[in-house]
Amino acid sequence: MVYLDYAATAPLLPEVLNKMHEAEVQFFANASALHTPGHLAMNEIEHTRELLARLIGASPDEIIFTSGASESNNTVIRTFEGCDIETSPLEHHSIIEAAAKYRGTHHPKLYSYMLANNETGEILDLSPIIARAKQAQAPHDSPLFEPMTEWGKPLVTDRRGAYVHSDLTQALGKIPIDVHSLGLDYATFSAHKIGGPIGIGALYVKKGVPFTPLIIGGNQEHKRRGGTYNTPAIVGFGAALEHLLVSDTCKEYSKRVANLRNHLAQAILNTIPGSSLNTDLAPGKSLPNILNVSFQAAEGESIQLYLDAEGIIVSTGSACAAGDTKPSHVLMAKTGDAEVAHSSIRFSFGLESTKQDVDKVMAVLPDIIKRLQLISTVKMEDKSCQI
Amino acid sequence: MSNLENQDWVYSDAVKDHFLNPRNFLMGDESQFKYDAVGQVGNPICGDQMRMYIKVDDGKITDVRWKTYGCASAIASTSALSELIKGKTLDDALQIDAKAIDDYLGNLPKHKFHCSVLGSDALKNAIDNYHKAHHSQEGSLKKARPPKDEQAKP
Repeated sequence: MVYLDYAATAPLLPEVLNKMHEAEVQFFANASALHTPGHLAMNEIEHTRELLARLIGASPDEIIFTSGASESNNTVIRTFEGCDIETSPLEHHSIIEAAAKYRGTHHPKLYSYMLANNETGEILDLSPIIARAKQAQAPHDSPLFEPMTEWGKPLVTDRRGAYVHSDLTQALGKIPIDVHSLGLDYATFSAHKIGGPIGIGALYVKKGVPFTPLIIGGNQEHKRRGGTYNTPAIVGFGAALEHLLVSDTCKEYSKRVANLRNHLAQAILNTIPGSSLNTDLAPGKSLPNILNVSFQAAEGESIQLYLDAEGIIVSTGSACAAGDTKPSHVLMAKTGDAEVAHSSIRFSFGLESTKQDVDKVMAVLPDIIKRLQLISTVKMEDKSCQI
Repeated sequence: MSNLENQDWVYSDAVKDHFLNPRNFLMGDESQFKYDAVGQVGNPICGDQMRMYIKVDDGKITDVRWKTYGCASAIASTSALSELIKGKTLDDALQIDAKAIDDYLGNLPKHKFHCSVLGSDALKNAIDNYHKAHHSQEGSLKKARPPKDEQAKP
């Protein structure tokens, strides 16, 4: 199998699997308990917290474990329920739909912009958004978050007029991240994009910014997220984070993986009529492991399933769009062309990807596209060939 | 084509078979097939477009070709339909509705059922165009095409 769907989820790293297995056996106790087995489990959890904090330039007490990126995103949006929430159509649905449901007109305002796009890999320059947030004036009477102080943490000391959240799920481990340099108040992370388990993620919450727990009813995470700790998953998350730190994955992605990605892009453009890139390959413009391509007159799901039949695993842009006949909302927002959006494929690489993987794709992809174009109702001459 | 044919797949075996090994498709230009009428539904902007070309002799569909821009279920639906209507009278072919295509394919997922509806509509459009041309020409039959601005939409 040639697996090129790392942006949807990455396979578990072997060391993650081993650590999780150990944790299931050794650290089964409830980590909130005061007894020794509970304390040992908590030590493992704190180790993961420290690793993530170190990796992103935060303090450990600014990290809250969640069930994943969707929960982290929802938690931030719900914190600003009733407030003005500005986001972009390129965001994950867990931002777009939550913001649509809970936004209002009150202050303070929340800006939520992801650093790197899920489908095209595009890296956004967050600095204009940070600048706008800094300029925002705090209203004189803003009682919105006062009740939160009862949860025992100094949650409301910073009463600026606007805050910034960024979904860093795709970016973690691919490009260097420093939440302070980026100027963020909140940031979302997920383990399964970096070789950790599905079902565990984290939320960075800068000290002093507003915060409302999404799940209440427990003392866990200093009353910021209720629920018994998922110790094996957190341990697995930690093992994946250790891998990022020890292997210096950002360097590996920026060189070897980017070369693989660019090689595939060039081979597609050189070989397949009607192909066009939705990803900017220039250094710093996109994540080094994502390549989104449209193939004129060939529909994305058909391309995906023909490739699947050849043992090549790719995505039609976003796994969340599967089962939904609407075109990708991201590509619609980027291109404004439904046909381009319907005809797109996302190849996403991981550290295990090889030149042989690219060769295997190119051994079958040209014929698949040619076949679909030949039986298509859409004529190739309807649009200029973009190679 | 497949090296995974004996493993589980997202759709039924029949959908998989008609998708990976489509029958009666028209490769390339439509001049490659002598047809009496063509019907079209859908729009690439909506994600699916189907075109059915039928050859009619003595009230029977003697041959058929199709073109499809769309997902695996759309391709499988048109391929299955082409098998179902060949040799049928026009009246009998009209009885083959979306459910018949869906049954033949071992059931599409609910969110893909519209593909069988599109296939059925493309055939109806072709037969309708055939009748229109046949009756207007009274013996000097010309190829029947859907008016550009009257193409059915899903």
